[in-house]
Amino acid sequence: MGPVNAPFVTPHVPQTARARGAIRARFSALDGRSGLADLYEGGGLRLRFPRNAQTCEAVLVNTGGGIIGGDRAELAFEVDAGADAMITTQSAEKIYRAQNVPAEVALSLTAEAGARLEWLPQETILFEGAKLKRSFALDMAEDARVTLLEATTFGRLAMGEDSINGMLADTWRLRRGGKLIYADNLRLDGALGATLDRKTCGNGARGTALFLHIAPEAESLVDLARELLADAPCAWGASAWNGLLAIRLLSAQPENIRAALVPLLETLRGRPAPRVWQ
Amino acid sequence: MVMIAAVDTTTITATNMADGAHLPLAIWLSPAFPVGAFAYSHALEWAVECGDVHDAATLSAWINDLLRLGSGRNDAVLVAASHRAADDANALAEINELALALAPSRERRLETVQQGTAFVTAMRTSWPCKALDALDNETAYSVAVGAASGAHELPLAATLEHFLLAFTANLVSAAVRLGPIGQTDGQRVTAGALPAIQETARFAASSTLDDLGSSTLRADLFSMQHETQYSRLFRS
Repeated sequence: MGPVNAPFVTPHVPQTARARGAIRARFSALDGRSGLADLYEGGGLRLRFPRNAQTCEAVLVNTGGGIIGGDRAELAFEVDAGADAMITTQSAEKIYRAQNVPAEVALSLTAEAGARLEWLPQETILFEGAKLKRSFALDMAEDARVTLLEATTFGRLAMGEDSINGMLADTWRLRRGGKLIYADNLRLDGALGATLDRKTCGNGARGTALFLHIAPEAESLVDLARELLADAPCAWGASAWNGLLAIRLLSAQPENIRAALVPLLETLRGRPAPRVWQ
Repeated sequence: MVMIAAVDTTTITATNMADGAHLPLAIWLSPAFPVGAFAYSHALEWAVECGDVHDAATLSAWINDLLRLGSGRNDAVLVAASHRAADDANALAEINELALALAPSRERRLETVQQGTAFVTAMRTSWPCKALDALDNETAYSVAVGAASGAHELPLAATLEHFLLAFTANLVSAAVRLGPIGQTDGQRVTAGALPAIQETARFAASSTLDDLGSSTLRADLFSMQHETQYSRLFRS
């Protein structure tokens, strides 16, 4: 028996078992071509550049093969004035069961004057018991153009994991010219499947996506977006205000989210979708 | 009027009315206060259009979710933060910027800005206070109410209850006008929402902005879909 006043010790994943991953990349324009200017790779994260890409395309690779509770990934991408860079991921990111502490992914994006920055990762898949905290921060110039995508799948549906428990907390803070123009705090906690079954939340959705396009022409694209989505095999909504186009997708079948996203990625951006999305 | 009975119920159970200290809240958050709340359905019109909300039970579930998991909960957190920041113009401006940025669609932004700005205008003439003078031309409704209440030193708990009750009663009133329920069922839905109102008010009273969080993705998506609804009574 220990002393009565012994401090209560919360069971936790030991520090040594947690993965700390980081990518810091800066892209700049030289002679009309955009390319990598600076790169730091830490932990199990790597940035790869497809050899035959027409534009500056970076592919994020997680050599750890997934993320577990307590892991922390810090991703920072900076696009200098006039440069143009697209970042995607090699595969869907798997979030495994967490013992107690959540995994954390912090994304920080900077787009300077006249820059174009696209963050178009593949889906994140939450396994049973996954706990994930993400933050999405953007600091962009008034005349920069930014496209952001986030798609999440709740459970390994093919394995019968169709109503998972866990936690997902997403914090979005997007600034243009220093002013906060878009914020969102998504918080799903506990019985995620049961919450997503509620009509206000998902009506049975197991796949969700948010597509944001912020650019001087963004608002004028809302009619085109609605046209592209007219026959989409999922629930969708598109709205535009304050130089921002926002699209939300929900479906019981996550593959339908992907099917709806591809035409958006191909047409709204005026260039082919990243190969991993085709 | 539909709402008076409900206002009395929550006020009497939650607070001491004897000194009339909370009467300003009943005035500011009554449907007669000129913020134009009646023009907004918070996407309920689309939920009725597609059959999601078609009777008292489905309306009740919809409203209770918004109160516990959605925009009602977030707005309550913003009211509380603004109430505390009533004396600090910079902090208030920052909360207002966040509140406006949290709007998930064009119409939801319109809904909060139009009501917030109208609230500030009406307050400046009849209930002037420094906090409201400091606010921008575009003010979120939750921030305007929280700041006014804090500036007039009204209790936060009662402010949150009145705010959430007004939110609920406005949605019930919209549902009655849209047709899926009658006046009597509407009153039943309002009465049934009191536990969620009180629970969220209690939570928000000790919340910080770190407690912001919503699960109601589909209600947000509906506010986008409402923009293209063919025939409509409401602006959101």
